[in-house]
Amino acid sequence: MTIRTLTIASLKMFVRNKQSLFFTLFMPFIFIGIFGLIGFDKPQTIDLGIVTRSPSAPTKAFVDSLGNISAFHVTAGTESEERAALQKGDRAVVLIVPDDLFPDPAAIPPGREGGAGQAPAAKTAPKAKDVTILKNVAYEQQAQTAITILTQLFDKTTLQVAKAPTLFNLDVQSINANKVRYIDFLLPGIVAMSIMQMAVFSVAFVFTDYKEKGILKRLLATPMKPLDFVASQVITRLLVAVTQSAVLLGFGALVFKSHIYGNPLLILLTVLLGGIMFLGLGFTISGLSKTTDAVPAIANIIVFPMLFLSGIFFPISSMPNWLQGVVTYLPLQPFAKAMRAIIGDGAGFNVIKGDLAWVAGWAIVLVALAVITFRWEEKRM
Amino acid sequence: MPDIITVTNLKKVYNDFTAVDSINFVVHQGETFGILGPNGAGKTTTLEMMEGLKGITNGTVVLDGKDVSTQGREVKNVIGVQLQSSSFFDGLNLKELIETFAALYGKTVDAMELLREVQLDEKVKSRVKELSGGQKQRLSIAVALVNKPKVLFLDEPTTGLDPQARRNLWDLVNQIKGKGVTIILTTHYMEEAEVLCDRIAIMDNAKIIALDTPTGLLKLADVGTTIECHTDQPAPVAELQKLPGVQQATAENHGFTLKTRQPEVALPALFTFAQQQSIILHDVQVHQATLEDVFLKLTGRKLRE
Repeated sequence: MTIRTLTIASLKMFVRNKQSLFFTLFMPFIFIGIFGLIGFDKPQTIDLGIVTRSPSAPTKAFVDSLGNISAFHVTAGTESEERAALQKGDRAVVLIVPDDLFPDPAAIPPGREGGAGQAPAAKTAPKAKDVTILKNVAYEQQAQTAITILTQLFDKTTLQVAKAPTLFNLDVQSINANKVRYIDFLLPGIVAMSIMQMAVFSVAFVFTDYKEKGILKRLLATPMKPLDFVASQVITRLLVAVTQSAVLLGFGALVFKSHIYGNPLLILLTVLLGGIMFLGLGFTISGLSKTTDAVPAIANIIVFPMLFLSGIFFPISSMPNWLQGVVTYLPLQPFAKAMRAIIGDGAGFNVIKGDLAWVAGWAIVLVALAVITFRWEEKRM
Repeated sequence: MPDIITVTNLKKVYNDFTAVDSINFVVHQGETFGILGPNGAGKTTTLEMMEGLKGITNGTVVLDGKDVSTQGREVKNVIGVQLQSSSFFDGLNLKELIETFAALYGKTVDAMELLREVQLDEKVKSRVKELSGGQKQRLSIAVALVNKPKVLFLDEPTTGLDPQARRNLWDLVNQIKGKGVTIILTTHYMEEAEVLCDRIAIMDNAKIIALDTPTGLLKLADVGTTIECHTDQPAPVAELQKLPGVQQATAENHGFTLKTRQPEVALPALFTFAQQQSIILHDVQVHQATLEDVFLKLTGRKLRE
């Protein structure tokens, strides 16, 4: 009964505290909103300019087919226009297609093909056509990708024309189709991050404040069991963690059509485990802070690097190896990774148990640290 | 009245600093017991050991038959505590706050009735930060009463309050005392101790240097009454000294002061003498000795130095 009353009271206080609401909901909303709207998916398309004058029908068909390649954003124009666009940085590559890249079958006299008199000509290879590609060195990577795609396209066409037998059949299967969009990558990580922010800041600020103002001491003057009070505070914040996860995931699903796969119970388990881990960190910071002024300093030193280095906003595989070696073991990384695996890929327990083990390990370490550092009142003298 | 608290050889040592040095006293049931002394004398430490908030280095406190060291929770159940710097949760209104504290005792209370008792019933929906200093202290007393305590501890309840709010709080303390609650308070205001307390322990440098009723303390210190007069001519100190009841006469600027233990003898003699000598007396003032004088006498220092 005591725990229930205390939990209800502290839930009321949590909801009425603007600062904790900011860290819990407002900030993650902003992150999802901004990064969701910027859409980092788009830069993946390569701006391809195509210059033709009066192409033959097959050449035109070939040019049109380029537009169907999802990696390309195709623009057509005259050579001078496209060169200018390239120089401005609006194109990664410009392809200058000769009109007769592919000869018009209509222009070939009937009977010529396969005719006995032409037999020797069929044996000699047709003369190679010149295709010019203008490359923007500022977009080296994109240009290289474009050139690779185009080269393959021409090779394939060459082989078809030469009627070479197909030796390989490439069977591409979309295994990772769930996670094509940046928002799908982002959302589970943001949920993990917001739980970290909520747990760390709400506990560190509130408990240091209670300690500083003598509220904890006043509570100790009642017959209340100290553990009951801590339990009510932990329960309150775990309820908040579950609620904020649901709200943020719901927001992502409704507004950004983000896909949410995975077993809700497994998501719940991960959220609770991550929540306990960061509550441990929050209590530890509160134990280390003598005044509320010290809280943001200590908390940000610990939380800020994790925020950017734990693969929330970009995959840690894009970091240098030595850094990856460090950040892989920060508390937020396995938590965010497990969340992403469940929510984004629908991973089951067996897939994420390694990450959950890390989270559980950190939870044990941080809760132990909290027990060691936390004091109900500042020692005098 | 039977004793409700017995403090025996109570001692608190921090590293090499002795905050409370082997003090002994008893508190009678239903009385208001004051601990008076300057800042740093050990008043708050004494109180917090009695409340079970601070560990006891040595000695015992037995409250309502329970040993504070071993039966802390039972003791906390029968006491109400107002701490020196009383703050409460900012996120709750007064009603919620009182109900939350009642829950800590496993009780439900009529918050409105309690707030009415401390004249805060109009503030029931307010937050703590919207209250004035005096209102905060009254709230803090209301919260201390949620478990209907047998003993109420008030640690410097009126420090920092204006005179009006202070008198208001005195009324409240007397009203609570009227319901049979034993009250223990610390203060460094002499007047407060004299007005509220049945008995007073004077603490200085971790020790109790005197313990008695206010009148007993005045008698103990043997300070007596001071008569102060302004005159139109130099004071005949030698003759004043010989007046009946006068212990000591001292010349002052434009007048004199007389020390006496029998003002009822000394005053008529003074007036007769003045008439005979045609001395005109301006501004005759009679000062009763105060606890301030007692403290000065006992320690050689003023209380609030």
